[in-house]
This record gives sequence, structure tokens and C-alpha cells, in this order.
Amino acid sequence: MAQPQQVIETPRVSSVRRSVPPRAGSVVPRTRAWRLLAAVLPAVLALPAAAEQPADPGLGEASLSLECRVPGAQLYTAAQLGALKAALAENRPIKLLAIGGSAAPGASASYPAKLEAALEHALPKVDVVIDHRGLPGEVASGAAERLRTMVAEAEPDLVVWQVGTHDAIARVDAEAFENALGEAVAWIRSHGIDVVLVDPIYTASMAADVDYNRIVDAVRVVATQQQVPLVRRYEALHYLSRRSDRGEGHMLGRQFRLNDLGLRCMAEHVALTIATSLTRTEAPREPKADPATQPLTGSQRAPG
Amino acid sequence: MRDPNAIDFWRGFALITIFINHIPGNTFERYTFSQYGISDAAELFVFLAGWSIGIATRGRDGVPEAPGKSVVRLLARTVEVYRAQLTVMLLALALIAGAALLLDNPLILEWHNAGNFFADPIQSVCGMALLTYQLGYFNILPLYVLLIGIAPLFVLVGRFSLVAALALSGSIYLASLVFEWNLPSWPGEGDWFFDPLCWQVLLVLGFVLQGWNLRTDILRRWSRKLFPAGIAIVVLGVVLAVTEIRPDPMVVPEPRLLFTFEKTYLTPARLLHFLGVLLAFAPVYALLVPRIGRIVGYLSQLGRNSLAVFSMGSILSLLGQLVRFQTGGGLLIDMLVAGSGLVGLGFTAWFVEWRSRSRSSRPRA
Repeated sequence: MAQPQQVIETPRVSSVRRSVPPRAGSVVPRTRAWRLLAAVLPAVLALPAAAEQPADPGLGEASLSLECRVPGAQLYTAAQLGALKAALAENRPIKLLAIGGSAAPGASASYPAKLEAALEHALPKVDVVIDHRGLPGEVASGAAERLRTMVAEAEPDLVVWQVGTHDAIARVDAEAFENALGEAVAWIRSHGIDVVLVDPIYTASMAADVDYNRIVDAVRVVATQQQVPLVRRYEALHYLSRRSDRGEGHMLGRQFRLNDLGLRCMAEHVALTIATSLTRTEAPREPKADPATQPLTGSQRAPG
Repeated sequence: MRDPNAIDFWRGFALITIFINHIPGNTFERYTFSQYGISDAAELFVFLAGWSIGIATRGRDGVPEAPGKSVVRLLARTVEVYRAQLTVMLLALALIAGAALLLDNPLILEWHNAGNFFADPIQSVCGMALLTYQLGYFNILPLYVLLIGIAPLFVLVGRFSLVAALALSGSIYLASLVFEWNLPSWPGEGDWFFDPLCWQVLLVLGFVLQGWNLRTDILRRWSRKLFPAGIAIVVLGVVLAVTEIRPDPMVVPEPRLLFTFEKTYLTPARLLHFLGVLLAFAPVYALLVPRIGRIVGYLSQLGRNSLAVFSMGSILSLLGQLVRFQTGGGLLIDMLVAGSGLVGLGFTAWFVEWRSRSRSSRPRA
């Protein structure tokens, strides 16, 4: 009975999306975002406004648009990005392979476009070429193999991998997931390609789910072990949802909006994580980084 | 109704394996043969489809039916499979959407690439009709539509020479591997999960081998001779699968696809492994019939109605995934899911046969 109402929720969501700046952080859209924010979340006004752009926009959460602003500690863990630094040193376009998440909605508003915009904002004067691929299936059973194919086809400098959601939904054993993910990340790095992991989304309906949280933890463990940057999307969205929790009572409305907003914020969060990680990476001695981790399979002969 | 036979039996076996493998993470997954080799049930399914085309377009004496009749027959089958694909896709999307609503969980909408559909329905619905929009685990039927759609070409060439049909198919296969040809996905970037340009070789191989098998017994003699080689390949496959040794796609020489184990392109290693499996297991059916007649009957019934059973299997495996998600899985749930799935598939096959029986026995209105 209540379901038709829930369905009607979707167009409203998309209208919210359209009012959102296409290039996050640029001056005019920010005013619009402000208006949106003031209308929906009056309580947030207490937060400091971004009156001035910081000198280096890649260096802090102040470079995030307001509705995506999360304290850095809750947003990411930085790590070295040697291959990316090397690519930058060569003054060539960065090839980025974005994996996971839907390519929708619409060409202009999609995640790859948002990510490209956010990255070119965070790293001025750098040309970023993004190849976006969905990766249905579970990392623990088959998707990791397909990932290798994708990486071999794209030969990117950097892989930004949204990972864990499918395994969590399929109730894959967290340990099996962790092993498969660790192996896949080590494999990518062994070929001198950088990896940034993005952990699963936060939604209220999964907050208390033990398995889900285990998968989120597993992504963090792998990021630490493999020393790759991690965008803590779960934490970030959790933070944002607390901030914006004004009890829109519809069954799906709140989460759907968060999901959509989450997509845009994630692009900004990924860009910030990459920019921050880059500032902490020492200048490369060689064009390609050393294989940072142990090789995986017996058939591996030499790093790419 | 035809009696249980090896083709239907192995088809039913492939259907059950695909059903179990399409519920990722479940306990019984590790007991399917797909986990112990390079190729899996998809290869078996497509090969047997080709073999069946041979049976359907040739009489028992090996004399082919009129070419026009074969073309129309395959066209009718293509329409049938296409219709099944559309129905199954719609039901799958409805299941995903319904589960998201009922369980109050938007995360489910992102499942299996369904997020594209809900976020981008205008493009996706076109892609659905064009078969370029596919859900994860729902990509065999689009392949099947295309393969049966282009099968008339090979069947007609085969009228003149089976070798020519195989050579044509093999050239397309090799060229696709070397140049990495595939059909694009749309909306969304990427390619088809099963590359039809590569997988067609297995269908044509099934068709051609069936023809040779009818004409002479050279094939049977050679398959007996090569039985040890088949066993060796199977053993090698088990070792490679268990030790997780496979070529690194970044390290192999060009053309890359000749050397990797990729399912998408049915790479030569997979094809070779499948032929090994075929050699090693072809004699098994005759051994099983006297021992497990009832199971043979059950699997053959599934195989006789493979399209209906496959379609229902896709839906049931998605339902099984949703049940596992909501309950958290576990051995008991997995037994329940797999058990009711097997009963459901058996019922589907029985129902289809009952319906066609009751239709044909009743006078037309």
C-alpha cells in the first residue's frame, strides 16, 4: 500500500541531483549548493563556510564542497602513490581505471564525469583520462579474475576500486573476501600500478549488519596491509548522514538521497585522497615504481 | 517425449551446475565441477546447444532436412530464446526492486549492474531490447540468442562441407582473440561478458562433431584412443584450479588472449580443457544409467526442457541470493535454497511437459 509513494520518491531525488553543481567546488555552483543546503539542512549553517580557496586545493577538506565536507580523519587514509607521481613527473595525461558503481545517471552527471571534474579541480594542470568499468560479481568468486583482465586491457597508472558491496550482499565469508582482495591489490601493485580502494557505502539499513561491517573492515585491513590509500566512504557517509538526518520519513527517501549525494561526494573524496596522497609521495627515482609487494602466483615472471 | 539420453542428461547436469554457481558464496558451490578446472558448465551448455542443432536439423540417417526448414526452425528458436531473455530480465529487475522496497535497502538496487537500469531507465530499456544491457549472472541467454541467430549461416555452409563451416568459425574465433573483438555493452562502458564472436566456435564445434558422429565411427574410435589424454587434461585442470596457478594477463606475450584463461573470450586453454573434459567424461553416461536411473531421468527431463529450466533457474538463483542475503546464509539456509531450487527446476520441467501433453491430447478449439 505504501509502495507507490516510495516510488514517487525517485523523481524528487533526481531534481535534487540536478541542482547540484556539475563541477564541484567552482564558485557559482557553490552558491547554489549553499541554497540547497540552507533549505534542507539549516543546522549545518553552524559549520564554517569556505570563504576562500586554500592555496593548494588538494590539501584539505576545505576543498570539498560543503555538503560533502567530512573531517579528514574520518574520510581517508593516505599512502604513497609512486606510479602516479612518476606519471605526473613525465607530464603526460594520467590514465585512471575507475571500477565499480553504476555509470548512470546520464552522461554528464555520471560518476566518471564527476570524478574527472573533481580530480582536475584537485590537481590543476593535470589531464586525467578515466576509463570506467562496472564489475558485477564477487571479488571472492571470479570478479577478481575479471579485474585482472580489465587492468591488462586498460594499462592504467591508477586503479580506483569501489569494492565490497557485492561480496557483502552475497554474504561472502569476510576472510575469503579479504584474501582475494589482498591478492588482487598486490597483483596490481606488482605491475607498478597504483591502487586507491573505496570501501562500501553506508546506508542506515545495513548499519547494524555484522557481516556488512566485517566486509568494510576487511577493505580497511587490506588497504593497511598493502599500503594503498583508502577512501573511507562508509565512515564519510555515516558522518554526512548524521549531519543531514532530519527524519525524512519515507521508507527509502533518505537513503536514496544519501546514495545519490554519496556518488558526488565520493568523487570529491577520491580526488582529495589522491591529491593528499600525492603530496606525501616522494619524488620517484624511476619512471615506474618498484614492485611494492610480493608476487602472487607461480606464473608471474617479472613486474610490468 | 524422447527417452533419457546422454545429451539431455549432460545438459541437465550443466543446468544444475549453473544454478548452484549462480548463488555465489553458497556452501555447495565448492562441490561443483566448475571449481576444479579451467572451463566450466557454460562451455558444456553451449557445446550441447550446437550438438542439439545438429540433431534438430538432421535426420537419424544423417540426411539433412530442407535448408529453408532449418533456417526457419532456428529463427523460431531465436525468437523463443529472445522472449525468454526479456521475460527473465524483467522479472529479475522486479525482484531486485521489490526486495529493495520490502527490505528497505537501496543497496540491493546496485546489485548485478541493476543500478544502471534504475538510474538510467531510458537508455537501459533500449539496451535491454538490444541485449547490450545485461545483468550480472544473466548474460548466457543474450549469448544464446545471438549464437542461434547466426547458426543458420554455419548450418547452411555445413550442407556443403562441415570442414568449411568449422574453418569459417575457427577463423572468426582466432581473429577475435588476436584483435580482441567483442560486442559493446550499453549503457555503461565495457563489453559482453560472453564474447559471441569467440563462443560461436563451441556451438559450431558441437554441430560439426554431431554430423561427423552420425556419418562415421572415426570420431568414436578416436575419442576412445584419446581417453587417456582427456584424463591427463582433467587432472592438470584440477591441479591448476586448486593451486590457483594461471597466466598473468600483464605478463603473457601478445596476442594476450591466446595465452590467458579468460572466460569472456573462451581462450584456447579453456577450449582445450573443455575438450579434455569431453573425452574423459563422455563414457561416464553409459556407466551411470544402470546405477542411478532415477537421477539420470531427472537430469534428462531438465535437459529436455533446457530453456524453461534455465530461465527458471536464473530467477530461482536470484531469489536464493536474496534469501541468503536477508537471512545471513549458513549451511541450513543453503540446503534449503539449493534443495527447493532443485525441486523447483524439476517441477518446471515436469510442468512444461505436462502442458504440452495436455495441449496436444485435447482437440483444438
